[in-house]
Amino acid sequence: MTRDLWKHLILILGALIVIAPFYMMVSYSFKSPGEIDRGEGGFFGRQEMMVDERCVKLRDPNREDVAAAVPRFPNKTDSQIRDALVAEAVSDCQMRPIVFNYSKAFTEAPLLRYLLNGVIVTASIFLIQIVVALPAAYALAKLKFWGREAVFSLVLFCLLIPVHAIALPLYIMLAKIGLTNTYAALVVPWTISVFGIFLMRQFFITVPDDLIDAARMDGMGEFAIVWRVMLPTAIPALLAFAIFSVVAHWNDYFWPRIVVTGNRDLFTPPLGLREFKGDGDGSFFGPMMATATVIVTPLIVAFLVAQRRFIEGITLSGMK
Amino acid sequence: MADLQIDQVTKTFGDTQVLKGISLDIADGEFVSLVGPSGCGKSTLLRIIAGLEGQTSGAIRIHGQDVSGIRAADRNLSMVFQSYALYPHLTVAENISVPLKMRQLSAVQRLPVIGPFLPGSRDKNVEIAAAVKHAAQTLEIDKLLDRKPGQLSGGQRQRVALGRALVREPAAFLLDEPLSNLDAKLRVQTRAEIAELHRRIGATFVYVTHDQVEAMTMSSRIAVMMDGEILQCDAPDEVYHNPLDIRVAEFIGSPKINILPTEASGGVLRCGDVLLPTLAPNELNGPVLLGLRPEALRLASEDAVLKGQVAHVENLGSEIFAQISLVGQEGRVTLRATPVQRRSLRIGANVGIAFEGRAALLFDSSGKRVFNPHLIPAHSEVA
Repeated sequence: MTRDLWKHLILILGALIVIAPFYMMVSYSFKSPGEIDRGEGGFFGRQEMMVDERCVKLRDPNREDVAAAVPRFPNKTDSQIRDALVAEAVSDCQMRPIVFNYSKAFTEAPLLRYLLNGVIVTASIFLIQIVVALPAAYALAKLKFWGREAVFSLVLFCLLIPVHAIALPLYIMLAKIGLTNTYAALVVPWTISVFGIFLMRQFFITVPDDLIDAARMDGMGEFAIVWRVMLPTAIPALLAFAIFSVVAHWNDYFWPRIVVTGNRDLFTPPLGLREFKGDGDGSFFGPMMATATVIVTPLIVAFLVAQRRFIEGITLSGMK
Repeated sequence: MADLQIDQVTKTFGDTQVLKGISLDIADGEFVSLVGPSGCGKSTLLRIIAGLEGQTSGAIRIHGQDVSGIRAADRNLSMVFQSYALYPHLTVAENISVPLKMRQLSAVQRLPVIGPFLPGSRDKNVEIAAAVKHAAQTLEIDKLLDRKPGQLSGGQRQRVALGRALVREPAAFLLDEPLSNLDAKLRVQTRAEIAELHRRIGATFVYVTHDQVEAMTMSSRIAVMMDGEILQCDAPDEVYHNPLDIRVAEFIGSPKINILPTEASGGVLRCGDVLLPTLAPNELNGPVLLGLRPEALRLASEDAVLKGQVAHVENLGSEIFAQISLVGQEGRVTLRATPVQRRSLRIGANVGIAFEGRAALLFDSSGKRVFNPHLIPAHSEVA
C-alpha cells in the first residue's frame, strides 16, 4: 500500500515536470503580452479587451485619409477628425488576447503552409521508412543467410550514431548534388531508420514460423509475405514506430534549419516559430506559444487516438 | 493427385544428422503416417517434402518428377500446420481463398482497390468464391466464413486450416500433427473425419504424428521413424502384430508391450528361474528379449509357468489392465483382462499368466526381430 503510494508520488512528480512546459505554453497562448510580462492572470488570463498596437499603428491616418473622412465628420477640424479616426482604429483593433494570439499565429506567418509542409515531409519519411524497414526486418528476423548476425549487429551499431555527428557530411553531400532547399533534403537522410528496422525485427521474431511457411505453401513469394502477411500482423508495432518517427520529424528543428535556407515555402512548423522571435520591437510570446500549441495539437490528438494500440506495440506482446 | 517418392534423403544440421537416408514410396491416393517420438526427424522430413527445407542429399519425386530446387509454392502441395497458421487479419473466407488467389490471379489483379475491377478478375473472383463455398460446405464451416480466426474455437480453426488445404487440388496433402492442439474428445472425432475425407477425395495424404493411436486408426500405411530412420513401413495391422524392431514394438500399442529379458539356449528361453520351452529357434543362443502384448497374456491357474502378484489394477469399464509383478523378475507386466475376471484381480492376489507361443515376439540383443520358423504355424501354448 505505502509502496504504491510512493510509486504514484514519484510518477506524479515526474508527470508534473513533463507537463509544466506544456502548461506554460498553453497558458501563454491565452494571455495578453502585459499579463505574460507581469506573470499574472492565472491559467486563462483575465481575457480583458486589449489593443493591438501594431494594428493601430498600421491604420494611423495620413492626410488623404483625413481628407476622405471630411464628409463623415462635418464641422470638425482636421485634428479632431484625425483623433476620431485614431479612436475608431483603436476600437477596431481591440480584441480578446486569445483571439489576438491565435489570429496572429495564422496571419503573421503562413502557418497552414508550414503545417502542410510538415505533413508532406513526415508522411514521406514514414512511408519510405516502412518500405525500407519491413523487408529488412523480415530478412533479419525470419530468413537464414550467411552474415545475418553481423548485419544485425551493424543495425544495432547504427542506433548508437547521433544524428548531429553526421549532420555536416550529410549537408555537404546534399549541397554537392544541389539538393539543399528541396523537400528531398528534408526527407532523404531519414528514409532508412535503423530504429524502425530494429523495432520491426523484434516484433517479427514473435510471429510464428508456421504462418510464414503456410504463406509459402499458399504460393506467396517473400515480398508478398512481407506485404500481405507481416505488414497486417505488425500494425500495432507499426503504430508505435509511426509515433516515434512522426513526432521526431514533425518536431525536428535542427535538420530543417540546416538544409532549408531562405526559401520560406519549405519551412516546417517548428521553423515557423522563428517568425515570432523577438527582433527590435519586442517578443511576441503570445502568438509564438499559440503557434507552438497549434503545432503540437495534431500529435497529441494522434497519440490519444492510437494510445491503446501504441502501448501494445511498445510492449511487443506479439501474437498469442 | 500424384505419387511421392522419397529417395535416400539425408539432412544434417551442423554436426547432427537428423535424417539418415530415408527412402519411402507413397502411392497415389495412399494415406501414410510418419509416426515416431519427438525429435525423430518426422517433421523435418515433411518439411523437406514440402520444400520448406532443403535436403542435404537425396531426392524427392512428385509424380516421377524431381522437385529438388523447386520452391514450396511451386510444388503444388497443401500443408496443414500444427498451429493451423491462419492469417489473423483475414476472415475465414479470405483465409481459404488465399491459395487460389495467389495461383489464379495475376499480381495486378491481386492489388487492393483496383484489382477487382480489372478485366477478367471478376469471373475469376466468382470462381474462387464458389470454390471457397464448396470447401467450407465440405467441412461444415460455411456459417463461419465472415469471422476472423481469433473468434473461432480450436476445432473450428483446425477445419479452416483443412479448408485452406482442400480448396485447390494439390498433388498431395501434408499434415503436421494437425490434431495435437485439440482436446481429447474432439481429437477422436476429427480423426474419423479426416480419415473419411481421405476416402472421399482419394488424394495422397502424408500425416505426421507422435500419437500412435492416430497413426493406427487413419493410415493405409505407417512409417515408424526413430533417430532419423524409418524402422518399418507397413499396414497398421502388420506394424502392430509383426514389428521388425523392438523400438517399433515398444512405440506402437497402448498400454506398451511387455518386454522380458531372457536367455536362449537350444530352443529354450530362460527367464529368471523360469524355463519357457519351444519359443526360440534352436540355433539361437544368448540374450533374447521376449515381447508380449497385454492382450496376449491371459490369467491362468496359479501353477502356470509365469507367476506373479497383482500390483495395480486399472479398470476402463470395457476392459481391465492389471499390472503384475512377476516372481523372480524386476519389472511388471501388464495384462488385459475382461471385466468378468475382475474378482480374481484383487491387489496382492497371486495369479498365474499364460500366453500362446504364437503371440510371443522375440528380439535379439540389437533389437532386431528373430523369427522362429517352428512357431508360426503351430499352436503352442505356454502355461
